Amino acid sequence: MEDKGDTRVPVTVLTGFLGAGKTTLLNRILTEDHGRRVAVIENEFGEIGIDQALVINADEEIFEMNNGCICCTVRGDLIRILGGLMRRRDRFDRILLETTGMADPGPVAQTFFVDEDVRSQLRLDAIVTVVDAAHVALHLDDSEECRQQIAFADVVVLNKTDLVAPEALDAVEARVRTMNAMARVHRAERGRVPLDAVLDVGGFDLARALEAKPTFLVPEYPFERATVWSPEAGAYALTLPPATDATMSALLVAVDGADDDALAKAADRALRLFSHEAVERPGGAELTPGDAHWSLRLDGPRAWPVRFEAGGRYALFTEHGEYAPMLTRDGALAPVVATAEYGAGHSHDETVTSVGIHEERAVDPERFNPWLRELLRERGADIFRSKGILNVAGADERFVFQGVHMLLDGGPDRPWGDAPRASDLVFIGRNLDREALNAGFRRCLT
Amino acid sequence: MPDVIARAPSRRFELPAAWSVDVGEYVTGLAWSPDGARVVACTAEGRVTALDARDGGAAWSALPHPGGALRVACSPAGGRVVSAGQDGRAMLLDGATGTSVATLPSGGRAWVEHAQWSPTGAALATASQGVVRLWNADGSPLLETPPHASAVAAMSWRRDGRELAVACYGGVSVWSLDAVGMTRRFEWKGSLISAAWSPDGEVIACGSQDCTVHFWRVRSGRDSEMSGYPLKPRALAWDARSTLLATSGAVDITVWRFEGKGPEGSAPLDLQGHQAPVSELAFHPRKAVLASGGGDASVLLWEPRRGRKPLRYAFARDVVSQVAWSPDGASLAAGDASGHVTCWRVADVGAP
Repeated sequence: MEDKGDTRVPVTVLTGFLGAGKTTLLNRILTEDHGRRVAVIENEFGEIGIDQALVINADEEIFEMNNGCICCTVRGDLIRILGGLMRRRDRFDRILLETTGMADPGPVAQTFFVDEDVRSQLRLDAIVTVVDAAHVALHLDDSEECRQQIAFADVVVLNKTDLVAPEALDAVEARVRTMNAMARVHRAERGRVPLDAVLDVGGFDLARALEAKPTFLVPEYPFERATVWSPEAGAYALTLPPATDATMSALLVAVDGADDDALAKAADRALRLFSHEAVERPGGAELTPGDAHWSLRLDGPRAWPVRFEAGGRYALFTEHGEYAPMLTRDGALAPVVATAEYGAGHSHDETVTSVGIHEERAVDPERFNPWLRELLRERGADIFRSKGILNVAGADERFVFQGVHMLLDGGPDRPWGDAPRASDLVFIGRNLDREALNAGFRRCLT
Repeated sequence: MPDVIARAPSRRFELPAAWSVDVGEYVTGLAWSPDGARVVACTAEGRVTALDARDGGAAWSALPHPGGALRVACSPAGGRVVSAGQDGRAMLLDGATGTSVATLPSGGRAWVEHAQWSPTGAALATASQGVVRLWNADGSPLLETPPHASAVAAMSWRRDGRELAVACYGGVSVWSLDAVGMTRRFEWKGSLISAAWSPDGEVIACGSQDCTVHFWRVRSGRDSEMSGYPLKPRALAWDARSTLLATSGAVDITVWRFEGKGPEGSAPLDLQGHQAPVSELAFHPRKAVLASGGGDASVLLWEPRRGRKPLRYAFARDVVSQVAWSPDGASLAAGDASGHVTCWRVADVGAP
């Protein structure tokens, strides 16, 4: 954890595929008059060289430890190169380290926490990933390295935006955000981003975890579709078409108004309710609109009686978008007055995703700590980064944590004061089980 | 009741420096000429400076490795100095004048991180990335190894100068001048960071990235591990009789006794005196006297068999990065992170 007395040299790690524009960004940082002394370690072949940079012609060396623990895997070449550079530390204030296009950021990041020589002198400020907006979609499909580089990033520079149509750019950005809800995304042409967006980011700095209020609060919906009807008071029936899934999460809430804003508010409410434990509802069981999260069984009869106590607009939020629900009264179809789709990014079926959890109820530290430790021990190989602000029962301060694979760092932060108390967590990883993470976290509540 | 006398540290325990000289930047290498007349230092700037051992006066200074020098060594046969650096070369320099005699290329731009004369001075080993090159004393090539599993972390010659142990990720390889090839291989799943071949040729000891010391008995190939270090044991030193192995990896120095059935199952000697982690270790060329340098800028002298407290103490200007005994063992030089080389007279320290 950084404090004011931390005199370690900050290091920014720059990743990104060959041709994404890392060197252009490096060149800008080196030539721009920003008054900061930056030592650049360039480690890419095939791009133009830079005069002032320390060009390291070293092979990537991934050192696994005898104990086989992946969190102890470090980059031997970095230990050597950084050690060499630190003998001249009076000549620079910060280090910018460019990795090769194919580098896995995991061992790079871990080197800053695991190796004592490095850790005692240097502090990882942030991982910045430069992405070629025109080609990243292709790379994301074929390259695990590309997915990891985005997953690990504190900052994603979406470069070459001038070469991409606006809709395509929005789609790329949405996809990046689905994978990594924690990173700040900056759009750029020819690597032109404000330097403050790249240097002094504090991505691994617990004291600044709050400042980087993650975009995971731009909700990442656990449902794909909302269907809105305007029934009168009385008895209706909800039916679903034949389905391949055995169950589907759903809930029905009232919508206060006919505009988009009203539906957005309902979606936010649904988002919170989805984090509650689902109540199983086989076909035939009555559904009452309100504050319950259902798991509808689809492998039996797919019709449920619904009773509306009052007329008005109601929205059914469903986990899967492909099953169009129908609402009938005495066999007559109630007209659908609006629909909405959510989480377009999920359509890519990403293996690398973010799971964000928002919860207002307080966390019991006696249950949370073992859960998180166990989670990272068992699933740490697939969880690239984790970060969270916790509303701990009985504590005046916020508790913050951050992790890289299985390495975890945490501590109390500033007091809540009058701010509304809530926990926000994000996990970024491969093949994450959203439901299991949500359920596991919920078991840690008081 | 025994007499208890409280004693303040006395001046007679502090060694006054014979001289201390600024050579510019962080001292990355330090070596004595075989006649003991000069101390040669190389720095992070890339400079190599030869100092007169009597008063520290500069005999010559050259800048053979712009961007940084990493190692310097004086030929035991006299006359030549080898330096290696981040410019991707090793250089043979004339020991009297510092002028370049030959360039030993590394075959690329990669740093040449190691350069060591064989104990007889007949051969020279350099390493760049994973490749070790062996040269004749005149700089003509003898052998170039295929790349090892990682950049070479450390090299150590057997005392007769016919074999060289090379440590890196994955183990130790022994290369032979006579066989002109690799003769032994000691596998280890982990990253080795230092190597020291015992003077009697029986044991190769290595520090490891995972904060252990691993060693092999060369004849049987049997290996053992010493663990429990809080830090990486980068500095290793054997005494002249091959019975004591001093190791860094903590604020205290840990000394293992290779005698009887030890060190397996035996407790090491724990030498307490530094206030910051030990950075450098060197045994006297003949006596069982150990010199250590620390992150606290102190240089301490010990007789591990006689006591756990230092015999003498002295101070460099900054973190001690190099420690070297003169060939006759009468002087000790240290280099530090501030770019100073300091020399002390120590002929009277320790039992003969």
